[in-house]
Amino acid sequence: MRIILVGYGVVGQSLADILLRRSIETVRDYGFNPKVVAIVDRGGAAINSKGLDLEKMLALKKKDGTVGTDPKFGYPQMSSSAVIESVEAEVVVEVTPTNVKNGEPGLSHIKTAFKTGKHVVTTNKGPLALALPALMELADYNKVYLRFSGTVGGGTPVLELAKRGLLGDKIIAIRGILNGTTNYILTKMEEKCITFQQALEEAQKLGYAETDPTMDIDGIDAACKVVIMANWIMNKKFTLKDVEVQGIRDVTLQALGKASKRGNTIKLIGSIDGNPTVAPTEISKHDPLCVSGVLNAVTFVSKFAGEETIIGRGAGGMETASAVLRDLLDIKHNLASELLM
Amino acid sequence: MKKIVMKFGGTSLATGENIRCVANLVADSAKQGCSVIVVVSALNHTTDDLCDAAEQAKKRNEAYIRKFKQKMLEKHSAAALKAIKNKGVLQEIEQIIKKTLDELEKVLTGISYVGELTPKSRDFVVSFGERLSAPLVWGALRDLKLESQWVTGKEAGIVTDANFGEASPLMNVTMHQLRERIGPLLEKQVVPVVSGYIAATQDGVVTTLGRGGSDYTATLLAAALAVDEVWIWTDVDGLMTTDPKIIPSAKMLPELSYQEAAEMAIFGAKAMHPRALEPIMKESIPARIRNVFNPENPGTLIAKAQTAKRTEVVKAIALIKDVAMINVSGAGMVGAPGSYAKIFDVLGKNNVNIMMISTAVSEANISLIIRRSLLGRALSTLEIVLLGRGSISEVTAEDDVCVIAVMGANMKGTLGVASRIFTAVARKGINIRMIAQGSSELNVSFVVKEKDGEVAVRAIHEEFKLDKAPR
Ligand SMILES: NC(=O)c1ccc[n+]([C@@H]2O[C@H](COP(=O)([O-])OP(=O)(O)OC[C@H]3O[C@@H](n4cnc5c(N)ncnc54)[C@H](OP(=O)(O)O)[C@@H]3O)[C@@H](O)[C@H]2O)c1
Repeated sequence: MRIILVGYGVVGQSLADILLRRSIETVRDYGFNPKVVAIVDRGGAAINSKGLDLEKMLALKKKDGTVGTDPKFGYPQMSSSAVIESVEAEVVVEVTPTNVKNGEPGLSHIKTAFKTGKHVVTTNKGPLALALPALMELADYNKVYLRFSGTVGGGTPVLELAKRGLLGDKIIAIRGILNGTTNYILTKMEEKCITFQQALEEAQKLGYAETDPTMDIDGIDAACKVVIMANWIMNKKFTLKDVEVQGIRDVTLQALGKASKRGNTIKLIGSIDGNPTVAPTEISKHDPLCVSGVLNAVTFVSKFAGEETIIGRGAGGMETASAVLRDLLDIKHNLASELLM
Repeated sequence: MKKIVMKFGGTSLATGENIRCVANLVADSAKQGCSVIVVVSALNHTTDDLCDAAEQAKKRNEAYIRKFKQKMLEKHSAAALKAIKNKGVLQEIEQIIKKTLDELEKVLTGISYVGELTPKSRDFVVSFGERLSAPLVWGALRDLKLESQWVTGKEAGIVTDANFGEASPLMNVTMHQLRERIGPLLEKQVVPVVSGYIAATQDGVVTTLGRGGSDYTATLLAAALAVDEVWIWTDVDGLMTTDPKIIPSAKMLPELSYQEAAEMAIFGAKAMHPRALEPIMKESIPARIRNVFNPENPGTLIAKAQTAKRTEVVKAIALIKDVAMINVSGAGMVGAPGSYAKIFDVLGKNNVNIMMISTAVSEANISLIIRRSLLGRALSTLEIVLLGRGSISEVTAEDDVCVIAVMGANMKGTLGVASRIFTAVARKGINIRMIAQGSSELNVSFVVKEKDGEVAVRAIHEEFKLDKAPR
């Protein structure tokens, strides 16, 4: 399967690493022979229709900061859309930065891929949060697959649990801790009795929070995941503007203390039960959802199977890249059965 | 009185001087008492240029349309100026060119407004090439004081289905109409100039004949009017034993059967498309490939097998580059029913045409030859479908191979031809990668590494003494 990798940052490079390390097994065990025919970053592209040498590409990125400088396969000025349009491939893996204002550049990347008949695997929440119903329709119309397991829970198979694990059941509600950074902050505030500001600084020091932590602490990242789950799992046509969002800036030590006295704690909970919301919410310390540190947890309330909770590490380059690999295998599997029909 | 259809290709009409030279060729034959029917292609490169312009129009590139019209005007006016001396005739032709190009501009502008290019509108745009070249030739003939009349393929009476881009004639209607409309011109000693390639549906919507192109127009006319010969005028002396670029001593082939000519076309020689051969094959009308720039040369005669002299079995060798080989292997394929069917089915669904197949008796391996440009898609698709199914363990490819096709009548029936071919190749130390199965009686084809291709062709050429005339 020929792959165009758009974005070569943490996730992109982790994927390259996994493909390298797993290449023999994926062919033997899954009949999956991935060939990365193009990689694009902001510095340009590297293209080889026979498949790029991923080891060299990783080294080059470390050395030059871009793959566009490759003497033989590099195209320093080539734009991402030109690559997606012109390079022959089955799948585009879209792993550029999340942008919740207008979804770009991811949104254009995905649409261009669809138009040229390419399937898309992405971990980029921006385009999905803003336009998932539209993108799903476009994918259907162009007879291609759109997969995005890595957007919710990173490597933890959150979407798959609901979609496959609970196949046939009806999911009535979803509740979850969807953001590791905020969960870390809230956990530390309670454990160490420190203020929000102090906990945030600590998280930043440890690399759990970005220099600009707005996306996380204002609940936007969690809201994006709520949108994705609502669409994909519950068939609701929500976008980001439909979600009522409240972040954790205003969670005080006093409020945490009061909750604690009741055997509860405060977590940033994303929920779809009727209206989609993200808000700091008091939950029981015995609720299976109540996980600490950077962990994520999601509870699916289904009509017949009852409540299922899945817990996992949430994010991380390797974790998220492993979700991309799953999506690629899923597409390969679907294509194979389609073509044999 | 001899009746001849003369078809002139784009290169023989490239310039005004060429057009004059073409007119002289027609006039010479007419003076010798021949009835000549002229079929013309578009001027050199015009058809491709029209396709590009149509694409640009689709992209709403109006500036391109204006520039394109100007370029076409200059090209055709310049040709007219050189081809036609008589002031009156010249003016008349220039008027036609201008009017036709005004119409073309409108059509392209229309396409740019809608932003859509259908096969139907593309055919219409492309038809302008022949609508411009025919009047030029007509003018040049009148300049030489020949009675002449020009018509489009549609006006001549060629009726097709509505399969735009690759239309098929409704044979009986077409034959009838061509006879009704062109026949009387010949009786009146008028030389008809028919624009090739283009035709129309029964409703009069313009279509094109696709593969075979203007040659097809020529052979349809030939069959309808029961002519004595079709002359395909081009820029080479005739069909060659092999590409003279590979072997300078390659010889022209004086005679070929229809079947041999068709075989050569399939293997990429500059020959008539098999589709164009059909109408004359039925009526046993011979065709002759001739060189406008060397009319003394008799060219290559394509005729019924009995007429074509039987000599050496091997007549010509083609080297087909730009191919790639795919190998699918796996012990599990042995006895697994439908393994091959799956492969063909999947490639077919992806529009990958298989040019050659070879399998081992054990069924543990199958090799395919396809166009090199399709290799990436074919390989990837086969891997997606076949790998991980247990029975197939590996799909590999070689993109540095070429096909050598050795052609001639009765090759299979003649003992030892194949062994002479392969021995000649082996003597050069060349490894044969694959031999075709189920190929026609008329050819043996096999695969070698691309770097060995020319040496192998030379070895066979020598073995069968194709460079030693006469044969
Ligand atoms: N990291 C995680 O744990 C995680 C988890 C889940 C989801 N995600 C999502 O996955 C996506 C990728 O994350 P990441 O951590 O890999 O981000 P990252 O390290 O910032 O990498 C982003 C990559 O995209 C490239 N890029 C930016 N703009 C581009 C453009 N216009 N055209 C082509 N390439 C462009 C960058 O190029 P340069 O290298 O030249 O800067 C960089 O290679 C994000 O949307 C993120 O939200 C990440």
